[in-house]
Amino acid sequence: MKRGKLRSIASMGALNLFFIALCFVTLIPILYALSVALSAQNTLLSSDFSFIPRALTLDNFRAVFEGEDVLPWFENSMVLAAATVALSLSAAIPAAYAFSRRRFPGRKMILRWLVLLNSFPALLSMFAIYRLLRPLGLVNTRLGLILVYTGTMSVFSLWNLKGYFDTVPVEIEEAARMDGASDVGVVWRIVLPLARPSLIVTALMVLIYVWNEYIYATTFMTGETNYTLAAGLYGLQATETSGSWPVFAAASLLVSLPVLVIFLLCQKYMTSGLTAGGVKG
Amino acid sequence: MRKGRGCLRSYAWSAPSLTLIALMVVFPILYTLYISLTNMSVYHWFDFSFIGLENYRRALLVFDSGFLSALLWTILWTIVNMAVQLVLAFALASLLNVKKLRLRKLYKTILMFPWAMPGYVSILLWKTGIFNSQFGLLNQWAEALGLEARRWLATDVSAFVFCTVVNLWLALPFMIMIMDGAMQSIDESCYESARLDGATRLQRAVYITIPTIRPMIAPAVIITVFTTFKQFDVVYLLTQQMGAQTGSNFHTVLTYAYENAFITNNYGYSSAISMLIFALLLLFSRLQRKEVSR
Repeated sequence: MKRGKLRSIASMGALNLFFIALCFVTLIPILYALSVALSAQNTLLSSDFSFIPRALTLDNFRAVFEGEDVLPWFENSMVLAAATVALSLSAAIPAAYAFSRRRFPGRKMILRWLVLLNSFPALLSMFAIYRLLRPLGLVNTRLGLILVYTGTMSVFSLWNLKGYFDTVPVEIEEAARMDGASDVGVVWRIVLPLARPSLIVTALMVLIYVWNEYIYATTFMTGETNYTLAAGLYGLQATETSGSWPVFAAASLLVSLPVLVIFLLCQKYMTSGLTAGGVKG
Repeated sequence: MRKGRGCLRSYAWSAPSLTLIALMVVFPILYTLYISLTNMSVYHWFDFSFIGLENYRRALLVFDSGFLSALLWTILWTIVNMAVQLVLAFALASLLNVKKLRLRKLYKTILMFPWAMPGYVSILLWKTGIFNSQFGLLNQWAEALGLEARRWLATDVSAFVFCTVVNLWLALPFMIMIMDGAMQSIDESCYESARLDGATRLQRAVYITIPTIRPMIAPAVIITVFTTFKQFDVVYLLTQQMGAQTGSNFHTVLTYAYENAFITNNYGYSSAISMLIFALLLLFSRLQRKEVSR
């Protein structure tokens, strides 16, 4: 009996050690970037490197705000993200409700086509979109990018919301309808509050997509001040020298921070909110 | 009468979203199909002409064109990544579910980090922080051990291996969470009675855990197969960036299509590749749905 207990303590210890090591290994790229960004000496090229910098400095973080056009990039990202989320949701909510609750000719066929369209990577039609938007004067404008992003996320938003609306029981709506509520009233006052988790996840996925998108942003926007944060960061690392790396590391961590915080706060919604609709962003 | 009005209303409610999809998704795909039948390139921006299926012929019948080798690489990439990912995620999720593990929540949160970080940022940090040939961590460690500094992403095979490492780092958290969620829904009494019947740990995993979680994780696994096949960021950012190619020829089909559109500016050919990839993806999703409904 006593020996069994000792053995179980030993194996739990080993398991905990294993997970501590695994967590450390997982975090190496992030910890390394953090230590480079905070390090006062340029220890990059010396071999006596350690994860804990000997002298700390915030100069690299300051350089991020001073040296480059970071504030316009930030503004561009915020505007694009807010506009895309607003447009996506206001287009997707009524459509998702109609597809979830109503039966009309063509419904099944459209749904089947949407699944197929969802497997098409947006990257593959980038050239076609570029060529279509250019004569319209939409290349190198925020409106052009907002349209591209909203279009890219529209199938996902529609599916994800429809999937969740399907799980909201119809009976509650019928009761409200008895009391004389209109369609809009039912959606606004009953369905949307009940579907809040999926609204949050859908909005977050659109937001994170726009925040992280760099290929369209660098191809469609010219001139550094028009870049988004993602595009700017991408441009920053392209000039890969040992001098710019600490600044790049600092910028990377700053850009990741909001996404990281949002993500960890909404952790519990993430897996369920995504798999319920059957699609992943 | 009433039904007709209900239908009209449904169409009106779906119209904004469907118009957007038609304009920004469907029409560009059709336009890509149209371009794929022409010789449009940077030299033939306006005066392009129809060349029928020539681009498709070049992609499928001329092995040197590179599409077929990119496709083979991508299939190998998908198989290797999925196999390693499923095995590792299963092992780690099982360990996270060991009953007496008190710090489970802390470990899970930390292991989520790669999923929570913006993907492109992590990949760039790997590229610059770990693999860089002058000041990357790998070369610092190599030098500390008295080995020679190397260019880690320079050959096809090494690029494939390190891209796989980075992709696993990015993708494992999602898979672990999915498997962990499925395992937690298994009734403890199943294990109890199996243990009484003298089943070993391995037998319990094979006969209880795997069959029970299989239908639960299937949708997530299928989605991951697709995202792995469609991987672009890892390979492009690590090895194929414009002006910073490391010299490896390891391409996924997506980086191959991108290279032909935006680096060698061969729009007609690249559009044909895009349509072929789309056709493959449609075929997969069809086969997969048949499999599920069976």
